[in-house]
Formats: sequence, C-alpha cells, structure tokens
Amino acid sequence: MTVLLFAGLTLREFARRKLVAAVAVLTLAIVAFTAWGLHRLATAVVDGAPIADPGKHAAAAGIVILLAFLFSFVLALGAALVGAPAMGESIANGEILAVLARPLRRADVALGRWLGTVVALAVYVAVAGGVELLVVRVTTGYVPPQPLAALAYLCALGAVVTTAAVALATRLPALAAGVVSALLFGLAWIGGIIESIGLALGNQRLADAGTVVALVFPSDALWRGALYALQPAVFTAVAANVNGSGNGVNPFAVTSPPPAAMLAWACGWVVVVLVAGIAAFRTRDL
Amino acid sequence: MPDAIVARALAKRYGRVAALADLTLRVGRGECLGFLGPNGAGKSTAVKILVGLVRATGGDAELLGRPAGDRRTRARIGYLPELFRYPDWLAAREVLGFHAKLMRLRDAARAIDLVLDEVGLRDRADDRVGTYSKGMQQRLGLAVALLGEPEIVFLDEPTSALDPVGRSDVRALIERLRARNTTVFLNSHLLGEVERVCDRVCVVDRGRVVAEGTVDALTGPSTSSGQARGVRVRSDDGWRDYDVARGEIPGLVARLVADGTRIHAVEPKQTTLEDRFLALVRHA
Repeated sequence: MTVLLFAGLTLREFARRKLVAAVAVLTLAIVAFTAWGLHRLATAVVDGAPIADPGKHAAAAGIVILLAFLFSFVLALGAALVGAPAMGESIANGEILAVLARPLRRADVALGRWLGTVVALAVYVAVAGGVELLVVRVTTGYVPPQPLAALAYLCALGAVVTTAAVALATRLPALAAGVVSALLFGLAWIGGIIESIGLALGNQRLADAGTVVALVFPSDALWRGALYALQPAVFTAVAANVNGSGNGVNPFAVTSPPPAAMLAWACGWVVVVLVAGIAAFRTRDL
Repeated sequence: MPDAIVARALAKRYGRVAALADLTLRVGRGECLGFLGPNGAGKSTAVKILVGLVRATGGDAELLGRPAGDRRTRARIGYLPELFRYPDWLAAREVLGFHAKLMRLRDAARAIDLVLDEVGLRDRADDRVGTYSKGMQQRLGLAVALLGEPEIVFLDEPTSALDPVGRSDVRALIERLRARNTTVFLNSHLLGEVERVCDRVCVVDRGRVVAEGTVDALTGPSTSSGQARGVRVRSDDGWRDYDVARGEIPGLVARLVADGTRIHAVEPKQTTLEDRFLALVRHA
C-alpha cells in the first residue's frame, strides 16, 4: 500500500514537473522525422524502378536496429537521470524528513520510488517503441520478427539502469548516482564488445573479462536480447556465417538470444541491488 | 505525570565528532519543553534521534513508553523539521493528503481542514507549494506536524521563517496544544518565545545538558549567581540604578523617601532567560 503511494507520487511528479510533456514532444518529433525518412525510402526510385519489398525490408530492418540502438542509449541515460533524483532529491533537499517521521518503512519509500520510475520507463518504451514500430510498418510494410520481445528487453534494460540509480541514490547525491549509473551502462556496453572480440579471436581471458562486466552490470545482455528479437533471420544467418558460432564483434548483429541463465541473473541482480540499496537507506542518518 | 519522552545518556558520534553526548531528560505528558542551545549544540540531532531519523550511538530513548523510532509510535507524533521543505509541485492540501494516507487517517478531509485552519492556510490550500513564501511553507510544515492530533509534537525552530504576526500565531498555537494536553518539544533560538510558552527549559551545549528546570527556577534570583541584584528607581531626577539585594529594596526606598526623594517608580532587575542562557553558554 505505502509502496504504491510512493510509486503514484513519483509518477505524479514526472507529470507535474513537465517531464512527461517534454519527452512526449521530443518523441513525437523523432517519430515524425523517422516517418518522413522511411517514407522517402519506401517511395525511392532506383534505376527507374521502385525498390522491391525484400530490399526495402532489409533496409528498414537495418534502420530499426539502428534506431533501437540509439533508443537504448537514450533510455539508459533517462533511466539514470530520472531514477537517481526520484530517490535522492528528496533526501538532499530535506523533503524526506517529515515523511520518514511517519509510521512507514524506509524500504517502502525506496521500493515505491523504484516502482514508479520503472513503470514510467515501461510506459515510455511501450508507447515510443510501439509508435516507432507502427510507423515502420505503415511506411515500409516491415515488421521485425519479435517486436514485443524487443520492447520487453528494452524495458528490462531500463529497469537495470534505474535500479542502479535508485540504489546508489540512497547513499550518494542524486547527480553522482545518475552519472555513475550511466557510466556503468557504458562500461557494460564496452564489456559486451570486449567479450565478443575475445570470442571472435579465441582469447578466453578477454571473453572472461567481458563476462565479468556483464555479470556486474547486465544491461548489455538485455540489449543483445532486444537486438536478436529485432533482427530478421537473414541478418542472423549472415552474422553466424561471419562470426562462426559465437556473437561477433559487430554490436549490431548477434547469432543467439541471451541464455536463460543470463536473464535469470539479470532478474536476480535487480533484486540484490535493490535490497542492498534499501539496506543502505535503512541505516542512513538523515 | 507519566513520561511522554525519556532520554537516557543519549549520544551520537559522527566519527570523532560528538554531536550529542550523554543527553538525559524526561518530558511529562502535556508538558511543553524548551530545548535550547547555541548552533551545533546537538539540538536537531537529539530531535532526529527521538523521531527515528538518526540512530544513536549510545544510550536509549523512549516515546510514549516505546523505543524511539518505533513505527507504531510514529503514528502518534508530529514533527516539523528545521529544514522544512515540501514538494513544490503539490498543493498544500495534496501534501497533507499524502501525509494523511501515510498515517492512514480515517476522516482525512476533516483532519486536513482542521490543521489548515489552525495554521491559517485554508485560503491558499489549493495553491501549489511553489507559489508559497517561506513563512507560508513553514505554516504548512506546522500543519503537517499537527495532522491527526499527535500526542507529541516536535517543533524544530518553528518560527525561523515567520514574521512577528506569524510568531505570535505560533505562540498561540502552542498554548492551544498545551490546553489539549499535547506534549510539545520546542527547539528554538528565540529565547523570549521559549520563556513565554514553555513549562520547562533544557539548555544543551556541545552535546551535553548544562541546565534544566522551570523558566522561573532558571531565571530566579536563587540560581542567577547574583545577577538578580539591583533595582532601578525613577525619581524627579530620572532613572538611577542601585546595587542592592532583593530583600534590601524596601529599606532602600524608605531611606530615599526619608531623604526627601520623590519616587515615581521602582523596578527590580529581572534575569531573563537570555541572560541565563548567555551566562551558561559563555561559561561553558
């Protein structure tokens, strides 16, 4: 009950502080721009003839993957820079003092803030991602193989980053917590590439280093899951041909979805980091 | 009188720094305690330990017979922090509504109207906090602290942002709380304010209690180390000070009259709480 109160307060704060309006306007602008670009692609004439559907769909698939990659970065930055203040700002400015003198558990505050931010991110991914995929379908007729799975992976990626941001903000200033979370996301992305290079070159140490980074911050595995869900079968086949059995150095092509164990680890990671953040908050003097 | 607040050898250290050392005090139910001390004396730390925001590193404390910080007891207390701040994107009524939900108040709408009237914010209750002056925000903080008719109210510098009218309102408010048998723990720098409304005073300095007692006991001649000596006498020549003990005043007046002095007024010098406070803190 109290958790939901804080989740609701967080969502209301996002709406009242014009965050929702600002994101909606920018998303609409991006959707309009990509719609214009995809329409130009769909109606383009090459050597006096319109592009055939297979070529058009292959181009659209590439554009969707590129857009998803950029979207994952925006999402991760948003998750870090929204999640950290959602938790940390009220601690820094003293709003939390009168609240915590009420008969509630500090865990309820942290969980509520986390839940509100994750719900906001999920809605953003569903709406912005859904509209963008709809635009791709309407303009080019292309539909990725598993659009819902891709959106779910992106939601999970946002949840991982915001979990770190909320947990860190129980102790660190909001700005520091946000920046550290965003940097961890970047580190995980680089770790994913290092792992791929290690696998491609048969260098186990390099691959292990990348795996360790993925375990410390599992966002890259989730990005690869989204990528796999968006990738047409022909892309997967080409990637497998180029890279062999493992995922190659190309961050825009994978040959397999993340293993179930990795997904389970990502879920466990969220729980562990959240519990650690709550424990840190419970013992903090305010 | 049963105890509302009990602190036994309460201590808080931040590394090497002792924010509070050996604070022992009792506050009876319905009593108004003035908690005084210079900046950095540990006043706010003590209040935060009592309301469960800070963990003591030594000693223990009870509120209404339960350990300080106990979740159920927190439903029976109100707290105005020194650093009062409320979401500027909410209206005052929404802030109070949120706190009412946290407290699971049954007749929340009525309780909210009651405290809004109490602090004089009813007319602006639906305006966003961001449009409020500092003084109005402090009034909102008082309303939050009074919500649900708590048995103990902790007020940490409740008039720091208020004008003289607001201060007078807060004094009247504290009087009403006392009349309702609410325990008031008043942390304030405004000694005149404390002198007027508090039953007892506790002075802390560098984390320790340096004096405790009723206002009369602290300011009375028996405890003022001679400061209560002296009298001002106004005659035809104007005011003149005489350094005599209280008991010698009638004799002094008789002597002056016998000498032919026409006396218009006699004012024994009083030790104010401020005199006493300064003496204690400077001595320490």
